Amino acid sequence: MIATQHRPLAEDLRLDFPILGQEVNGKPLVYLDNAATSQKPLAVLDALQNYYRRDNSNVHRGVHTLSARATDAYEGARDKVAAFINAASRQEIVFTRNATEAINLVAYAWGQANLKTGDEIILSVMEHHSNLIPWQLLAQRTGAVLKFVELTDTQEFDLDHYRSLISEKTKLVSVVHVSNTLGCINPVEEIVAIAHAHGARVLVDACQSAPHMPLNVQAMDCDWLVASGHKMCGPTGIGFLYGKLDLLRAMPPFLGGGEMIADVFFDHATYADLPHKFEAGTPAIAEAIALGAAVDYLNGIGMDKIHAYEEELTAYLFQRLAEIPELKIYGPQPKADGSGRASLAAFTAGEVHPHDLSTILDQAGVAIRAGHHCTQPLHRLLNAQSTARASLYFYNTRAEIDTFIASLKEAIAFFGGLFG
Amino acid sequence: MALENLRTLYQQVILEHYKKPRHRGKTDPVDRHQRGHNPSCGDTIDLTVKLNASGDRIEDVKFEGEGCAIAMASADLMADAMRGKSLTEALEMVQSFQNMMKGQAEFPRELRKLNVMQGVAQFPVRIKCATLTWHTLKAAIEQSSEPSAGFISNEASPEGVL
Ligand SMILES: Cc1ncc(COP(=O)(O)O)c(C=O)c1O
Repeated sequence: MIATQHRPLAEDLRLDFPILGQEVNGKPLVYLDNAATSQKPLAVLDALQNYYRRDNSNVHRGVHTLSARATDAYEGARDKVAAFINAASRQEIVFTRNATEAINLVAYAWGQANLKTGDEIILSVMEHHSNLIPWQLLAQRTGAVLKFVELTDTQEFDLDHYRSLISEKTKLVSVVHVSNTLGCINPVEEIVAIAHAHGARVLVDACQSAPHMPLNVQAMDCDWLVASGHKMCGPTGIGFLYGKLDLLRAMPPFLGGGEMIADVFFDHATYADLPHKFEAGTPAIAEAIALGAAVDYLNGIGMDKIHAYEEELTAYLFQRLAEIPELKIYGPQPKADGSGRASLAAFTAGEVHPHDLSTILDQAGVAIRAGHHCTQPLHRLLNAQSTARASLYFYNTRAEIDTFIASLKEAIAFFGGLFG
Repeated sequence: MALENLRTLYQQVILEHYKKPRHRGKTDPVDRHQRGHNPSCGDTIDLTVKLNASGDRIEDVKFEGEGCAIAMASADLMADAMRGKSLTEALEMVQSFQNMMKGQAEFPRELRKLNVMQGVAQFPVRIKCATLTWHTLKAAIEQSSEPSAGFISNEASPEGVL
């Protein structure tokens, strides 16, 4: 059905990822845990090395050459991230440690100043703990109330239920763009339009979309968007917050310290202009620069191409998974061309517990994740204590899907056989 | 697939205890009750203990909960082995089990059935699956007679994850 005449994208690109060339337990590594973190291409590894070998210096504080170089590279990375998501201004990009920190920043700086008892925050039942706990904490501090959008029959975001929850009491809607468990792609533009019609702000958790598809925050019209660098070929320790300029301006600082100040006196201070107001202390300079290199790398391939190739992989993955009757797969089915969902599958395999599956697959060199993937309330709702999850990226191949399916079948047979 | 490795881990006995546990349920009466979990993977265990009249010897252990083959088999094997043991002996067995997970010891002849879990020591990431139930029992024994309402986490303590 999905005859790929052209040379698959992954064939050449794999060579950019030295880690993929290794054997695990005597078998070629098949890395299918990309939703947890992606691997890093040489360009990113080199950017880290080169920074420390040539340019290492603190940013913004020096007049010497190295400091100027470090600052240019760090701020250059901000430009790259801004362009990557089509932000209107570079000042709208705040570097954070990861998406989690970005969400907490909004919950503290904006939430604390803007929410009061009885105000409502709408989340969905599929949120990652990162997009749940900060709002629970905020609700505890302010007396705001959390509401949860439920799932449709196909285990997708239920827009009708969302419409029924939203009201003038709603101050914030915070939703995941692509679910790390269900793989569904949520209609964020519609979600934003509905929220704005009710005067509510919207935060989009783009952790699982930014690595895989083109993003345009202006078209989306979201108020904030967060992502983690480590899931999009960048290093760990760096993520970003996008926020509309006027909103970020109006928000009080989050953490206090150096870098974020304009003028400091013993009893008070004025704060730096955006985005530095939200970047207290020495930032993760090398990591930010390497994230810039990751963005360059992804742009070099083309986010459209990445997305299209992953759809092909999705179609093939689901076609092969359908051969195994024991499996229960969560989230929506892809369309025949592989579109309509992310290139990942969370599933259970009858009597074989996800941990046992993961151990057995690991013996075959196949890395998948087992657990609740930080969506424990969703798992409870799905009546699954844990699931196994295979998640793909553009460097994965059909041959790897074949290996995964073959070892999955073997694992089920191994358990089934011994059970009799 | 490295089947020999897997057969070391998933011994027939382990799979039998997983599939047909003999000690699932609740003791009657419940003299001790303790819940344990591994937060990062979601495995839970709900352990109940029946003691003798003087409260120093285990008459019965039962478990409920959800987890992988290793966690569930470990709970069933432990429940089997604990019957008739004094609380002191039980705590010693918990210690021996932990040592076995470090590859340092095995159980003597009369408890040798527990040695089928030895293979787990070769799979470091799965050790916490095996130790969850033992940790939970230890907490059940060490608690005062008040049954504890909360969970103990097998991951919070360094020995839990070894
Ligand atoms: C949908 C989603 N949101 C948030 C996060 C949290 O990312 P991080 O731990 O990098 O902050 C993840 C990562 O697992 C995720 O998949």
